Amino acid sequence: MRLARRIDVQADDDAGPILAVEGLSIALPKGADRAFAVEDASLELRRGEILCVVGESGSGKSALSGAIMGAPAPGLKVVGGSVRLKGQELTKLSERAWCRIRGNRIAMIFQEPMASLNPAVPVGLQIMEVFELHAKLSVAERRERALALIRSMQLPDPERIAASFPHQLSGGQCQRVIIAMALAMNPEVLIADEPTTALDVTTQAQVLKLIRELRTLHGHTILFITHDFGVVAEIADRIAVMRHGRIIEMGEARQVLTRPQHPYTRELLAAVPSLVPPADQGEVMAPAAKPVLAVTGLQKSYGRVHAVNEISFDLERGTTLSVVGESGCGKSSLARILVRLTAPTAGRVDVNGKCFLTLTGGELRSSCRAVQMIFQDPFGSLNPLRTAGAVIARAAVLAGADRRTARERAGELFDRVGLPREGLQRRPAAFSGGQKQRIGIARALAMNPDVLIADESLSALDASSQAQILALLRKLQNELGLAILLITHDLRVAAQISHRIAVMQAGRIVEIGPAERVINSPEHPYTRELLESAPGRGLV
Amino acid sequence: MSATSDLSGGVSRWLLRKLFGMLLTMLAVSFLVFAVLELNVDDVAVKVLGQFSTADQRHAWLVQNGYTAPFLLRYLRWIGEFVTGHWGTSTYYREDVLTLIAPRLAASGLLAGAALLVIVPLGLVMGVIAGMREGSFVDRLVSVFAVVTTSIPEFASAVFLTSLFVFWLGWLPGVSTMADGFHFRELVLPVSVLTLYSAGYVARMTRSSMVEVMQSPYIRTARLKGNSMRRIIVRHALRNALITPVTVIMLQIPWLMSGVIVVEVFFAYQGFGTLLYQAALNTDIYLIEACTMISVVVVVLTQVASDLLYTWLNPRMSIRTARTAAGAK
Amino acid sequence: MSTQHVWLKALARPTPAIGALLVGGWLIIALLSHVLAPYDPFHSMVPLMAPGAHGPDGSVFWLGTDSLGRDVLSRLIYGARTVVVVATVATLTAYAVGISTGLLAGYFRGRVDIVLSFFANVILSFPVLVLYIVIIVALGASAANVVLAVTFGSAPAIFRIVRAITIDLRSRDFIAAAITQGESTWRILLVEILPNSSGPLIVDFCLRLGYSAITMGVLGFLGLGLPPPTPDWGGMVNEGRTLAFAFPHLVLFPCLAISSLVLGLSLLADGLRRPASRLGKAG
Repeated sequence: MRLARRIDVQADDDAGPILAVEGLSIALPKGADRAFAVEDASLELRRGEILCVVGESGSGKSALSGAIMGAPAPGLKVVGGSVRLKGQELTKLSERAWCRIRGNRIAMIFQEPMASLNPAVPVGLQIMEVFELHAKLSVAERRERALALIRSMQLPDPERIAASFPHQLSGGQCQRVIIAMALAMNPEVLIADEPTTALDVTTQAQVLKLIRELRTLHGHTILFITHDFGVVAEIADRIAVMRHGRIIEMGEARQVLTRPQHPYTRELLAAVPSLVPPADQGEVMAPAAKPVLAVTGLQKSYGRVHAVNEISFDLERGTTLSVVGESGCGKSSLARILVRLTAPTAGRVDVNGKCFLTLTGGELRSSCRAVQMIFQDPFGSLNPLRTAGAVIARAAVLAGADRRTARERAGELFDRVGLPREGLQRRPAAFSGGQKQRIGIARALAMNPDVLIADESLSALDASSQAQILALLRKLQNELGLAILLITHDLRVAAQISHRIAVMQAGRIVEIGPAERVINSPEHPYTRELLESAPGRGLV
Repeated sequence: MSATSDLSGGVSRWLLRKLFGMLLTMLAVSFLVFAVLELNVDDVAVKVLGQFSTADQRHAWLVQNGYTAPFLLRYLRWIGEFVTGHWGTSTYYREDVLTLIAPRLAASGLLAGAALLVIVPLGLVMGVIAGMREGSFVDRLVSVFAVVTTSIPEFASAVFLTSLFVFWLGWLPGVSTMADGFHFRELVLPVSVLTLYSAGYVARMTRSSMVEVMQSPYIRTARLKGNSMRRIIVRHALRNALITPVTVIMLQIPWLMSGVIVVEVFFAYQGFGTLLYQAALNTDIYLIEACTMISVVVVVLTQVASDLLYTWLNPRMSIRTARTAAGAK
Repeated sequence: MSTQHVWLKALARPTPAIGALLVGGWLIIALLSHVLAPYDPFHSMVPLMAPGAHGPDGSVFWLGTDSLGRDVLSRLIYGARTVVVVATVATLTAYAVGISTGLLAGYFRGRVDIVLSFFANVILSFPVLVLYIVIIVALGASAANVVLAVTFGSAPAIFRIVRAITIDLRSRDFIAAAITQGESTWRILLVEILPNSSGPLIVDFCLRLGYSAITMGVLGFLGLGLPPPTPDWGGMVNEGRTLAFAFPHLVLFPCLAISSLVLGLSLLADGLRRPASRLGKAG
């Protein structure tokens, strides 16, 4: 009966939007930094289109998706406006009525695929549950449909996948299972909340391709939420840009990407690192210069697994080498070996011509300042109980300064990394992610290093702070002649700052060369795959 | 991912390692107990023969019973006899320790078992209901109940309950000697005292586990799939939320043993606890040694059982993984 | 938000406030026992007087007298001093042992960790009360041995907590940063790690102080605690137990005393849990 009604409705307003959000406002709990998570937001979702909602963290884009699903995050409350699905008002629905809509007429896919699946239930059963909730099918039919769905997600061996627990699958496989679950009832609207953010570049490219193909095949209507303009360029038909809870610009994808109207949109687009290396990056310094860091035949093995396998390279003063690779390729192990946090199984590291790994005692104390690291997680890299000033001053003391000069130096370094001096007295919690990374840089600089290692130091940041930190690193390199080793998964970031790029796969460097050459004419097939997977090649 | 790579071989290796660790612990414990109680042979003689024995008597006794041998040798002989069931004679009861302990252990097992039968369902249900909605009225009620009951030592709650039900209302007997056979009425107060303390603890554990699960992304997934609240709890939350408390209950058993001793002494229940208590008061060292070793065996066994149960309940651990992966192939 | 502010705010809510009140009250009583107690707690007067009864000289025994004619209220008040002093000393000793071993095991892992963890496991495989009984039987009942028994009983649990926190903190990047800057191990342990574990430890300290009080009570109740005539709540219950049917005041008041003290500590711990977890996470 419901099926019949649905067809009727469909016939009636075929021309109208599938989903219409009008003047939606969502209140934040008292004491938050602003009153509304989403303020007076209006958008329409047309049949068969992909509408991308773009914004940086805290812009309210996830609050928006939660409200559309009738399940705002704890503490959030819809206080005004309407959400209509084919003309039916959703904001006033009872929980009972919602249970018939969720997973059936509106479905959702999530950012953390593995955590979003029940760890104690085989994934096949989790897909079958959707049919149990929304369709009258026998167990055998449910099973068959679930297997068919898994197959249509281009997953190998559906029987085995269906019998697996989430932890036995990869992140990409889990995300496909979740997509299968979401599409099981052929919903009128699919909401995708940062579905590829937690995935590797190549997996991300595959999942995006899958979503595009499914849309072409079945005409799904998709609301796609992301922070990444590269992803937007890959997938959007139309774009809505959000900032501080408001939609500040909305339009056709081509138009927003090429002729953005709002200054903030222009800013966001400008912050997307381009794959084209900047012209002023210049050539590698004269090869005659003695390398400040020389790595020879470095190896780190865990049993039979070689996390780092036969790695050799040189790094000269004033240059940047980027090591690019996907998660698990060994790039972080490499970084940890270079700062002596992990001992290698074999190989040597020379810093300023001295063997760095075998140093002990006083010689170590005087040399360990030479190689310093900026860490990945801005939240974990600073002691939460110590003030920024104390942390930096302590580093200066360790580098040999007395207490007074150390305090002065902390102030100077704060200026140098572009932080106001009042911040010296504050603890890390008072700073944003980008500011914390600046403190981390100041701490490293306090040791007067020759080599700065940045281990995914930009990946936790929004695009705009990413661009600022990149600019800061470039400036510091020019001023201090630092050698920078940038460890990253993002070829676009690497292209922006590197003189040379090394591509790592399964513990080995498969290709190394001048940045421009590696990006414009890659030699190794894996480098080519990475380049092709980088989202938003159409941009810029 | 790494869990799937070392499959069935890993399970038996894991079990063997557990058993080996258990044996090693038992050996260390026995050595510790023996050293603490029997390192000083003169003390042993005083404890066995009493304070009023003469020095000559003690010396003769020591020689006669092989106490002139070096300590390590005595330990080896003691552990050998212990393993073969020769636990010596109680100096206070003048009876073989083994025959003395066996019926007392059964009586205590009955008491502890009866208590568990009440504690487990009560604690789990309270915890689940409280944890379903964090911050609700029921949640706060259960939390306050748990804080209060876990703060009252067993002997104090025994005093309170006895004052109320025995002295004032006169509904229940104040002692549980079971002098003329088994009486259910005599079991009520001891079980209530044990329940009061442990049920609150189990409820607390269950609650926090439930709260954590209810906040996890997969519960959100289940909700956005169109599950009703009831279905979410029954089908998705309970299973994952009960993994921790079930193992906690196993680890509660040593606590229960301490509680059982107090409760048995208070209500004069003729179990393992009163036996150990009498032994302690009379420095009956062979009896103390045996009782201690038995209680440690119980604790170590429950620890291993709790480990096994956790592994079995948690699909992320190796045993289950091995089985399902094998089944899928 | 400043740290002090968070703690004060936590105490302003009703349950921790009740906890603070109970604990504070007992602390004051313990501190001022010699002023507050109406009689000498060791002095025998008229035995087994009911609460509120008048002595021959017209004085009032508010909580009655025990079988030796000593004033129950005075013994209760002096008992507070006993429990506060012995339980605090015992808990602090256990903390000193637990923190130092836990830091070492968690930071260095490897062989140090294996040995220390094994030792902790061995002690933890005794049911607590059995462990206390063995120690007291072997060494005799005295305040020092009660402290020793509590240290043995609590230190392994504290060791485990500190070890787990240390292992977690050890993997954080700010420790890695300190190492790459050549910071000394001692400074890393004492300046970087220990202050960051203070949140959960403060909560645990309140709870464990309560456990220590319970332990003292239980040992006293079993007649294995502080030797008489020391005023000790558990001991008072033990002495009054056989007469409880006719004179319930002998056991009821000490039981109320110990329960209210431990309850206060638990409520306090419960109330501090939230600010403590914030202290651990973000500062």
